[in-house]
Amino acid sequence: MKHIIVRWQRGVPVYALPKITPFFFFLCLMGGLAIVLSAYREWVGLGPTTGMNDIYAWGIWKTFNTMVLTGLGSGGFSIGIAAWIFYRRELHSVMRTAVLTSFVAYFSGLVALGVDVGRPWNFYLVLMPWKWNAHSPLMEVCLCMPLYACFPLFLENTPPLIERWFYTWPAFRPILMKYVVPATRKTYPYVIALAYALPMMHQSSLGALMLLGGSRVNVLWQTPFLPLLYVWAAGFLGYACVIGVLMVACLSWKRPMDARILGILARIMCWLVLSWNAFRFVDILLRGQIGAAFAFDRFSLLFWLETLLLATPSVYLLRGENRRIPSRLFLADVLIAVGGMLYRFDPTTFAFTARAGAVYFPSAIEVVIAAGYVCLAIAAFILAAKYLPILPAPVSAWHDLEEYARVVHPEWKLETHDFSHHNRPHFAN
Amino acid sequence: MQVTRREALRSVVSKCVPVGAAVLALPAAEAAETITQPKAPVGMLYDATLCIGCKACVVACAEANDLPRDVSLDGLHQAPEDLNAFTKNIIKLYKPEESSPDSFVKQQCMHCIDPACVAACPFKALWKNDENGIVAWEPSRCIGCRYCEIACAYHVPKFEWDRINPKIVKCELCQPRLAKGYEPACTSVCPTHAVIFGPREDLLTQAKGRIEQSPDKYFENRVYGEHEAGGTQVLYLSHVPFEEIGLPDVGPTAIPARLKWQKLIYKFLALPLLVYAMLAAVMKKNWIDHRKEMREEEERTGLRPQL
Repeated sequence: MKHIIVRWQRGVPVYALPKITPFFFFLCLMGGLAIVLSAYREWVGLGPTTGMNDIYAWGIWKTFNTMVLTGLGSGGFSIGIAAWIFYRRELHSVMRTAVLTSFVAYFSGLVALGVDVGRPWNFYLVLMPWKWNAHSPLMEVCLCMPLYACFPLFLENTPPLIERWFYTWPAFRPILMKYVVPATRKTYPYVIALAYALPMMHQSSLGALMLLGGSRVNVLWQTPFLPLLYVWAAGFLGYACVIGVLMVACLSWKRPMDARILGILARIMCWLVLSWNAFRFVDILLRGQIGAAFAFDRFSLLFWLETLLLATPSVYLLRGENRRIPSRLFLADVLIAVGGMLYRFDPTTFAFTARAGAVYFPSAIEVVIAAGYVCLAIAAFILAAKYLPILPAPVSAWHDLEEYARVVHPEWKLETHDFSHHNRPHFAN
Repeated sequence: MQVTRREALRSVVSKCVPVGAAVLALPAAEAAETITQPKAPVGMLYDATLCIGCKACVVACAEANDLPRDVSLDGLHQAPEDLNAFTKNIIKLYKPEESSPDSFVKQQCMHCIDPACVAACPFKALWKNDENGIVAWEPSRCIGCRYCEIACAYHVPKFEWDRINPKIVKCELCQPRLAKGYEPACTSVCPTHAVIFGPREDLLTQAKGRIEQSPDKYFENRVYGEHEAGGTQVLYLSHVPFEEIGLPDVGPTAIPARLKWQKLIYKFLALPLLVYAMLAAVMKKNWIDHRKEMREEEERTGLRPQL
């Protein structure tokens, strides 16, 4: 197995490749289908289009697209805290990938949530604080999640876009210099702090939702610490998602991987997972429910499946060698992601028994809509990675790109000496 | 003097943690939160030993509430299988296999003293009347999230799955009839007075009187709803175990009390704001350092730094 010695230093777009591939076309087709079927759902109501009923009133649009996907999309939050708050400066090179995965995952989840609610026209109430039920966890989610996605997370995603305009749109450069750069420089820390405070709130509130579910949620999952376990799981799911996305992107677009940075991410993820597992185990022990874990019924098997999916690859990845070999890292990372997703999914589905005998199984339309919005998120990510400097690469890749752009896009006027060293506008000055 | 990152972090944490502890401790002192009782709670008392299962109340309820008749069973009879979008009130039969006694049971909203649905509802579409304690639904505030169906321990709120303008359907104790001075439809038609309407206090006294008059007639000699989930305004007497007739063992604590830590954390938004202030303070220092490093990197590589 080949070890990798490349250093990721800069975001570089995936250039000189066709934008529309058969796979991309397929993703858009699925997304289009989801949009058409969503319109149909709005027209005929939830009953004829979904498998939901009065006993199982929440379906996969909430339990998968919102609970699970926004967990996966917490990379911007969890890696950002390591990079910015704990100042792991080497992680800055993957931050653009992280915040982009967060952005597409959150939007895809929010759109699914919008399709799910029965009376969306009343959603304007979120703008009227005097009409809020401030103690409802769902109110907190309704307010905080769109706020995070539309404000701090959106702003975190603007630098690559501004950078592209800077190079490709000469007329924009003075405006950028005069307004955008100084404004960013002044406000950035406050925006970033908000980008970490808000997910802490709504990711924990997603767990708090099920507190009111009471004994319907199996004892292995139902705990007063559900909010903490949910936000913690969002933490390592964010890492798992970003590691996976980076590796898949590098493999499919033939870009070099930086084993060192992937290793750092994996190590932080392992410790997050293992401490989470330990905390959960102690919680079950202290609540006196350890017997339920060894009952070997449906629920205890599910619990052990989650635990093993998370703990085994984490212990495996504690060995540095396993982190450095991409195939091993990727396999372990996928297992951790699946385990974490399962944990976020279970309290609302597999471990949720509303009434004996009642069943919920998603309808075909429901599944296509859920999958379609995920496809749209992936399509948006691919398109962004091809247009914008998102994915990390060595500096040499940037020089190659400059050569390429000078030849292919002479209208961009990319002369190295065009803007002198001191007048070069950037956020650091 | 150069402040190291560790020192800066320590100073931020040392300033914020005592404030956070104080913020948590302040409301914790008054934590034994008392549930606000409605001024004059009204309710119903259902005595399963008196019910003959005639279902007059089911028909009367549908008529009084302008609900379409649910004939989904055989197209002939108004015989709903469960509470649903057409049924706010239902009579069910509990029929055990052995020779032990069977029983009818009436199901509708319990009008909890501290309702889980009201605690769950994000925009107060479900609300509890301060005066008579009736839990009602306000269409202009409902976003159709169906969290009430997840939260209600009695499976009461139902959703109109087949409509583009879906409503939440649940018993509202015939509020318009009460306003005109009538009783709720179900109690007004009951031929055996198995279900009666009145102020909750009176009903509770009457129920306890019945238990006293004939001890050993009623299950565990107690009234279901006196303490269940913080108390309900609809009370039950039964000769068979409550759990057998669909009245779950929910314990004495009100369901919204499970959110007490959430309430504490979000009180006056103090703790989230404090966390934000901490993050911003650390970020401000790190941002300055980061910009310095970006400039150095630029000197080194000659490339415009990326944010």
